[in-house]
Amino acid sequence: MLRVPRFPAAVRATLARRTYASTTVQLPDEAHGHLPTSQSPITSKLRFFNSVVEEGKQIPTYRVLDGAGRLLDGAEPPEMDEALARKMYENMARLPIIDNLLYNVQRQGKISFYMTAYGEEATLIGSAAALAPDDEVLGQYREMGVLLWRGFKLDEVMAQCFGSYEDTSSKGKQMPVHFGSRKYHFHPISSPLATQIPQAAGVGFALKRDPARRGKNCAVVYFGEGAASEGDFHAGMLLASTIPSPTLFIARNNGFAISTPSSEQFYGDGIASRGPGYGMHTIRVDGNDILAVLSAVREGRRLCLEEGRGVLIEAMSYRVGHHSTSDDSFAYRPRQEVEDRKRVDNPISRFRLFLESRGWWNAEEEESYKEKVRKEVMKAFKRGESMQRHEVKEMFNDVYVGEEPWTIREQRQELQALLKKYGHIWEPWRSELKKHKGEGKELIESDH
Amino acid sequence: MFSARALQLSQRRLSLPKKSLGRRFQSTAPEPPPAGGHLPSIATSSYLRATRDSALRSQDIRWLDGDNNGPPGSVIAGRETRKMNLYQAVRDAMAIALMKDDTAVVFGEDVAFGGVFRCTMGLAEEFGRERVFNTPLTEQGIAGFGIGIASMGHTAIAEIQFADYIFPAFDQIVNEAAKHRFRSGGQFGAGSLTIRCPTMSVGHGGLYHSQSPEGYFLGASGLKIVIPRSPVQAKGLLLGSIRDPNPVIFMEPKILYRSAVEQVPIDDYQLPIGKAEVLTKGNDLTLLTWGTPIYHCETALHMLASPPESLAPHVPPSLRSAKVELIDLRTILPWDVDTITESVRRTGRLVIVHEASMTGGVGGEIAAEVQKRCFLKLNAPVRRVTGWDTPVPMHYEKFYIPDALRILDAMVETLTY
Repeated sequence: MLRVPRFPAAVRATLARRTYASTTVQLPDEAHGHLPTSQSPITSKLRFFNSVVEEGKQIPTYRVLDGAGRLLDGAEPPEMDEALARKMYENMARLPIIDNLLYNVQRQGKISFYMTAYGEEATLIGSAAALAPDDEVLGQYREMGVLLWRGFKLDEVMAQCFGSYEDTSSKGKQMPVHFGSRKYHFHPISSPLATQIPQAAGVGFALKRDPARRGKNCAVVYFGEGAASEGDFHAGMLLASTIPSPTLFIARNNGFAISTPSSEQFYGDGIASRGPGYGMHTIRVDGNDILAVLSAVREGRRLCLEEGRGVLIEAMSYRVGHHSTSDDSFAYRPRQEVEDRKRVDNPISRFRLFLESRGWWNAEEEESYKEKVRKEVMKAFKRGESMQRHEVKEMFNDVYVGEEPWTIREQRQELQALLKKYGHIWEPWRSELKKHKGEGKELIESDH
Repeated sequence: MFSARALQLSQRRLSLPKKSLGRRFQSTAPEPPPAGGHLPSIATSSYLRATRDSALRSQDIRWLDGDNNGPPGSVIAGRETRKMNLYQAVRDAMAIALMKDDTAVVFGEDVAFGGVFRCTMGLAEEFGRERVFNTPLTEQGIAGFGIGIASMGHTAIAEIQFADYIFPAFDQIVNEAAKHRFRSGGQFGAGSLTIRCPTMSVGHGGLYHSQSPEGYFLGASGLKIVIPRSPVQAKGLLLGSIRDPNPVIFMEPKILYRSAVEQVPIDDYQLPIGKAEVLTKGNDLTLLTWGTPIYHCETALHMLASPPESLAPHVPPSLRSAKVELIDLRTILPWDVDTITESVRRTGRLVIVHEASMTGGVGGEIAAEVQKRCFLKLNAPVRRVTGWDTPVPMHYEKFYIPDALRILDAMVETLTY
């Protein structure tokens, strides 16, 4: 039988107190006692409250570096050596170069769709650097940076975006940026928003039940402030806090859900205000300050594993780019606003200034690194763009495991018969078949 | 053919005084009906395995003896059975799953104390609250949570309290569970997820405790849907579903929880997913259904063979010797097209019965496929006997749910087309 983990008595007492005690709201002392099964103190004052922290104030935002890359007074930088700092910077700087190319490639009609992560590089890389490489990540769609941090290759990125036969994420079945990798513990992206959130609570639960991974790994789920409006967000937070399961919730509050600004997404104090509603340890962090993100996610992860319960981190940033290649954000926000944000609060240059102040980076390295990345990205793109897709037959695989149902078998045979009949005479099919490995021959020239 | 016991019963019926006949077909029991419902005709059903021998000889039973001490896999001598109703059989299946699979967990609303239909009685005590536990009240959460657990290769046995409440989980089931493997290029999957829910009418459930939602999920390729008719079936099919490497929705007809009682083998066994079972062989008409209507069909077959006095004028004597082939579909998705097609090619007539509404129901899907394959062999249009296209209306249920009379009428019409 599996051992049920027992928390030390002190922690249990703290947890019990935490659940029922209010935060910093000052109420009259407990002259009237409590309700029978609650720690909620009785009060004779009729008073509504409307704040998670001090009345009238918003939840503070944790920051370590200022806009010029200098440590704030009293800020403690996270433990980090030069190697880690450089790796973090390089990953940050690389992202927009990849985004630039693939965005333009979509504009040229070579891929159908793409989503950039401009402005959110610190949130993505800072959090990725704080996690263990085998923490299970469930993303929304803008977290390719996390996957790249873990070692996902540019060739694999290209393969997924082009849907080529090297695409292991989805074997050509998904739109671009819908990555998935068992090897890198990155669960498959799906377009419906927030569905990953209660799933993450389940993933965390499985980790807790696995004696080899309990206390060592947590589930980490990313979602935008828009997705946090979905019922699945509530369900996931509820389950991770109540069952409980070690699940780290990272809300990327980038100010927009396509065209909907956060002022039209929620009325409360952001996403962070919801955490205490579930009894969860919560922090709001400056998502454009990579050191603050690194510290906050490290600490959040530690709390998550120690208590085996959900923890919420709200990372504040700004979506510099459009929602996707299907969006022109200047239809709903002024160009000037975007330019100003890029200048005033740039996560990459903020960290670059910090590194340069330490002598860990300079202008020459910047030039040569960017040139190197541009070459690599271009090489991977050229290699990927001309690759064929999987065999047409692949379309019918992986619907079911085990014995193939007659529906799949007969429908594949129906397509097979159509290909045999029309594949070489119907032009749209003829040229389309050439894009697939085998050009449909695995069906056309087979008897079954 | 009909068993000797069934003939006995039908003969007995004809000699009963009229008063008893009334009691047989219109329940006038003095005490209040139990919350789980009660179907009088089930107790006397010949399809329920009342003896150890008949239970052990269930069709296609596959014994899963893990150790070398027990009887060898194909032998039934020495195996024991125990009298169980459907909820006890379901519980037995889950207990075996929990016992043999360390990763298995059971969760849902109210499962810890035993469940609102007692399907999880004693499991939390036996296996601990870490493996059998309550979730907060959120079906979308239960389904999502289950998918997450399954994606890590653990066995997730989720309960949705009533099939009527599965809809908040529809997105997770259809968009996520069904497509998890396909969208990840085979790297991930939700195959070790099984979602159980009580389904179908109970006599007094109204709109929201009577639904049969299997039809809504037909388009979610990647899913399997299984519906058992009896305790022996429920245990074997549930174990088969839990162990099937695809996500399965297992819908248990709630009115049968207490009223269906059989001798059920206590060993670990499975029944095949994707295979229908022919309950009664015949060459004149194929009668296809699943779940509770099996028993109404049985009654209808008796009424066809020897109609009660009041119905005799409506059942031509030539039809009373008709041999009807009754088939229990068992797995709704993917459904056993071979067994059905083989039968209809022989009989030339098909009547499909289901409690769900006509439009969008599973019957339409089956009818379309059968007419495609058996077009020239059909002697009559495929006939569907179903709930009406209204929500299930509380005080009108006797005219809503297809009963033995409507099934009898459909058979007569189809046989005389």
